[in-house]
Amino acid sequence: MAHQDALSQEARNAFPGDLHPAWIRACRRLAGAGYGEAVAKAYVRSSPRLALLVSPQAAVDLAGAVSGVAIRAGRVAAELLPQQAVSVAEMLGEDGFLRWLRLVEDVGVKASESLAHLLEQTPQLLTQIGLEGLQTWTRIGIRMAEGDKQRRLRFFRLEDPSAVRWLQRASGQTGFTDMESRLRPFLTALWGDSPPLRETPANAPEQARRRAGFDGGIVRLPSSFPGFQARDAEHLYRAAAAHIAAHLRFTRDRFPVGGLKPAQVALVSLIEDARVEQLAMLELPGLARLFLPLHSAQPSSAVTAPALFARLSRALADPSYEDPNPWIAKARKAFAGEELHDQQLSRRIGNLLGNDLGQMRVQFDPKNYVVQPPYRDDNLALWDFGDDDSQAQDAEQVLSSARIRREENDEHPGRTEQENKPDGEAGRVELQPALMEGVPVARYGEFDYVTGREQPDWVSVKEYPAQAASAGQVARLRDDRTDLANRVTALIRSAKVSRAERLRRQSEGEFLDIDACIDAAIARRIGEPPSPRIHGRYERRSRDLSVLLLLDVSQSTSDLVGNRRHTVLDVERQAAALLSQAMSGLDDPFAIAAFCSDRREDVRYFRIKDFAQPYDGLVEARLAGLQSGFSTRLGAAVRHAGADLAKQRSYRRLLLVVSDGEPSDIDTEDRRYLVEDARRAVQGLSRLGVNTFCVGLDSTAEGSLERIFGQRNAINIATVERLTEMLPKLYLTLGK
Amino acid sequence: MNRGTATREDDALKDFRIASEPYFRPVGNEVALFEAAFASRMPVMLKGPTGCGKTRFVEHMAWRLGRPLITVSCHEDMTASDLVGRYLLDADGTVWHDGPLTLAVRTGAICYLDEIVEARQDTTVVIHSLTDDRRILPLEKRNEVLKAHPDFQLVISYNPGYQSVLKDLKESTKQRFAAIAFSYPQEAIEAEIVATESGVDRAVAQTLVRIAHRARNLKGHGLEEGASTRMLINAGLLARHGIGLAEACEVALVLPITDDPDMRDALKAAVAACI
Repeated sequence: MAHQDALSQEARNAFPGDLHPAWIRACRRLAGAGYGEAVAKAYVRSSPRLALLVSPQAAVDLAGAVSGVAIRAGRVAAELLPQQAVSVAEMLGEDGFLRWLRLVEDVGVKASESLAHLLEQTPQLLTQIGLEGLQTWTRIGIRMAEGDKQRRLRFFRLEDPSAVRWLQRASGQTGFTDMESRLRPFLTALWGDSPPLRETPANAPEQARRRAGFDGGIVRLPSSFPGFQARDAEHLYRAAAAHIAAHLRFTRDRFPVGGLKPAQVALVSLIEDARVEQLAMLELPGLARLFLPLHSAQPSSAVTAPALFARLSRALADPSYEDPNPWIAKARKAFAGEELHDQQLSRRIGNLLGNDLGQMRVQFDPKNYVVQPPYRDDNLALWDFGDDDSQAQDAEQVLSSARIRREENDEHPGRTEQENKPDGEAGRVELQPALMEGVPVARYGEFDYVTGREQPDWVSVKEYPAQAASAGQVARLRDDRTDLANRVTALIRSAKVSRAERLRRQSEGEFLDIDACIDAAIARRIGEPPSPRIHGRYERRSRDLSVLLLLDVSQSTSDLVGNRRHTVLDVERQAAALLSQAMSGLDDPFAIAAFCSDRREDVRYFRIKDFAQPYDGLVEARLAGLQSGFSTRLGAAVRHAGADLAKQRSYRRLLLVVSDGEPSDIDTEDRRYLVEDARRAVQGLSRLGVNTFCVGLDSTAEGSLERIFGQRNAINIATVERLTEMLPKLYLTLGK
Repeated sequence: MNRGTATREDDALKDFRIASEPYFRPVGNEVALFEAAFASRMPVMLKGPTGCGKTRFVEHMAWRLGRPLITVSCHEDMTASDLVGRYLLDADGTVWHDGPLTLAVRTGAICYLDEIVEARQDTTVVIHSLTDDRRILPLEKRNEVLKAHPDFQLVISYNPGYQSVLKDLKESTKQRFAAIAFSYPQEAIEAEIVATESGVDRAVAQTLVRIAHRARNLKGHGLEEGASTRMLINAGLLARHGIGLAEACEVALVLPITDDPDMRDALKAAVAACI
C-alpha cells in the first residue's frame, strides 16, 4: 500500500491539473483492453517519469502508442515501449523522443514482428549510431528483407551479418571488410606471404568475436572491434594481423596442455606472445610503434589476475614501462635472461609464474578472462589439447572460446588444390566417368549493390563435362546457311583488330616520313621528279584477337524464338557453329563455353571448346549435346570465362556472351541484384583488358543487358541472320 | 692521312669516353664474365629487373676496358636508319651521317642497346650480321660493307618481367648472345651500394634495404615489380637532404610503385614497421 501511495503522489506531481484525470483514464484503458497486466503496469510505472522528462501531454499520449503497438506487434513489444521511452527521453530530449516514437510506430506497421527486438536494443543502438543512424539502419533492414519476415527478424536480432556491417558503417567504425584488402598485402610485404584471412562468423561465441585467432593457417579476425573509432580500429587490425603473423612465423610447435592449470595456460600463452613479438621486432623494429600504444595497463591498477596479466604483457613488451610489482619484476628478469628462439622458454617461465600466482593467492577466473591488450589473439592455436577433451576442458576455457566451425578450415585446402589445377585439365574431365558431377574449380565474389560491397568467395563455379550428342543437327544447321557462313567469314576477315603499325612512304598520312623527304629533296636537286609518297601513317593491318563465346543455356533458352520454329538454344548453337567455323578458318584463337546455375553454390560451366583445341566434330557434338536447364547467374560465369580469356596472349580479347534474358537465380529475389553484380563483373574484365559484348537473343530484357554490358556493347537480335549486322558493330568497337 | 682520320674519330668519340670510374659493386663474377666475353668480342645480353644496375655495369666495364660507350635507348618507332645512319642534305648535296651503331662499328666502341625489346623485331635484325662470325655491317645505301673494328662489341639489355607479352626478342636474335643475369644484390651488399651512392650512413641504408625486401615480397601479389636499388638510392638521397625516412620512402618508393590505394596503404604500413 505504501508503494502505491508513493506512486500516486509521484503521479500527481508529474501530471498537474486536468492531465491527472486524463492519465488515470489512459491507465484504465490500457488495463481494461486485455493486453495483459504487464503492459498496463509498465505504462503506469514509466509514464510519470516520462512526463517529467518530456511533457505530461506526451506521457499521456504514449498510452495510445502503447495500445497501437500491443495490437500490431504484441504484448512483449508493448511492455517494452514505456520503459525504453524513458531511456530514449533521457538520451535524446523531447524533440528526439518524438521522432523516435514516430519511428517505432512506423516499424510497428511495416515490420511488426521485429519491433520487440528493435525496442530491446534501442539504448545500445542509439549510443552506437544515434537517432539518424537508427532511422537509416531500420529502413535498410526493412528494405533488404523484401517482405520476408524471417529475414527481417534475423536482421533486427543482429544475426544477419549484413545488419552488423551496416551498423558499423553507420557508426563510422572500421570493420573487417574495410581492412581485408589492406591487411593481405601488408602481411605479404612483411613476411613474404599472407595466410588466408577470414571474418569471425556472427554465430561464434562472444569471446571469439572479440579477439582474433588462427587455426590451421587460417587467420580469423573479428568483424569489428567495438568501441574503437576508425583510425584506432585500423591500427588495431594491423597490430592483430602482425601479431598473428609473428606467431605463424615463430611459434613452431603447439604446447601440450597436459596437466597445466588454467592460470598457467594463460601465462604460457602470454609469454609466448611476448616472445614472438620480440623476435618480430628484432627484424622489423617499427612494429614496436604498432604494438606498444595498445598496451594501456598502469602499475597503479588493482592486484587482480587480469590486471596483473595486462601489466605483465606491457612490462615484457615495453622496456620503458616501470612496474614495482615483484612478480612482474621476476618475470621480466627471467624473460630477459633467455634465448628468444627457444620456444620452451615460454613454458618454463609461464609455469613458474603460475605457481607464484597461486602462492600470492591471486584468484584467476578462466570463464571471464579475455586476453589483453585487444590486438592479441585468443591463443587457441598455441595449444595441443590431445585426444582427451575432458582433461583439457578447463584449459580450453581459458582460451576464451570454442573452436570455430570446422567447415571454415575445410574450405581452404580444397581450394588451393583447385587453383593449382592446370587449365587444360578441365576440358578433359569427361575422360573420367567417375566425375560426371561438377568439379568445383573456383570461387568468386559477388557484388551487392545495396551495400556497395563485394561479398568475397560467395559463388562456387563448377565445371561439368560437356555431353556429346549427334553432331548431325548442328552440321545441318550450319550447312543450311552456307551463304550466311560465307558472309560471316568475310566480315571477320575484313575486321582489323591489332596494334597500329607505322606505314612509311605513303602518299598521304599523319606525319612526314623523314627518309622519304630526304630522298625527294635529293631527287629534286638532281633534277629527277621527286616521289610524292613522303608521308607516313598508323594503321591496323591484321587481326590479333582471341574470342571466347559464352552461351547461356538456362531453362528459358528452351523457349521458341523469332519465327517460332527454333528455340533460343537452337539459334545459339547455330550462331556458335557459324562463328566457330569462320574463326577456325581464319586461325583466330577462340573458345566456346556454356553456363547455367543452380543457386550460388553451383554455377555450372561447360567447356565446349578450348583455345588450343581444333574446331571439329567433337565440338559440334558437344554443341548439339547442350541442354536447357536451371538459371542464369551471369556474373560468376563472366568472371570465370574472363579469367580464362585473360591468359590469352593477343592484342585484344573478347568475351562474347549470348543470352536470352536478364540474369536470375532462384536464391535471389531482388531482380536488380544479379544485374548489378554482372555489371560489376564486366567492369572488372575491362580492367583486365578483356572486352565484353552481349548478343541478346529475342530478349525482353534489353534494358538490363544494356545496363550490364553498356549501351554500345549489347545488341538484341531475333534470328541468326542478324548476326551479320551485329558483327560490324562489334568489330568497330574493338578496332578503337 | 691516317692520323687525321684517327683524330677525327677521337673527336667523334670524345663524348662517349668515360673519364672517371663509375661506381660498381660486383655481386658475383660478372666482371670476369664480361671480360672473358669481351676477349672474343662475344655479344652480351644483360638480363634483370629494372634498377638493379645493368646500365651502370656496362659503363663500368667500358671504363675498365678503356672503350668508348655508345648507348641507344630503343623505342617502338626506331627504324633501321636510326641505328645505321642515313643521307642528310646540306648546301653542297647529300652527306652520309653514321648512326650510333655504325659509329661504334667503325671506331671500335661498345654499343649498348638499352631495352632492346622496345624496338620492333624487324629493326633489330640489322644487328644479326654483326653478332655472328661475320662481324660486318652492310650499309646498302652507301653500297658499302663495313667491317667491324676489332674492338667493337655489342651489348643489349633485356628485362624479362617487364615487357608486354607481345614484345619479345626473336629466337634468332636471342641465340646470338651470351647472357649475364642480374638481380637485386644480397642485403649487406645492397646496403653498401645504397650507402655509397646516396651518402646516407650504413644503418639507414640497411633499413632502406629491409623496406625494399618488404616491397619485393609483393611482386606478383599486386605489384608488377619490387622496389629497385635505384629507388632505394633515391630515397636515401632524399633522406640525406633532411627528409624524414618514412616520408622519403613514401615519395621515392611507395607512391611511384603503385596507384592502388589499398596497396599503397599496406606498403606504407610495411615501411613504418621497418623503421
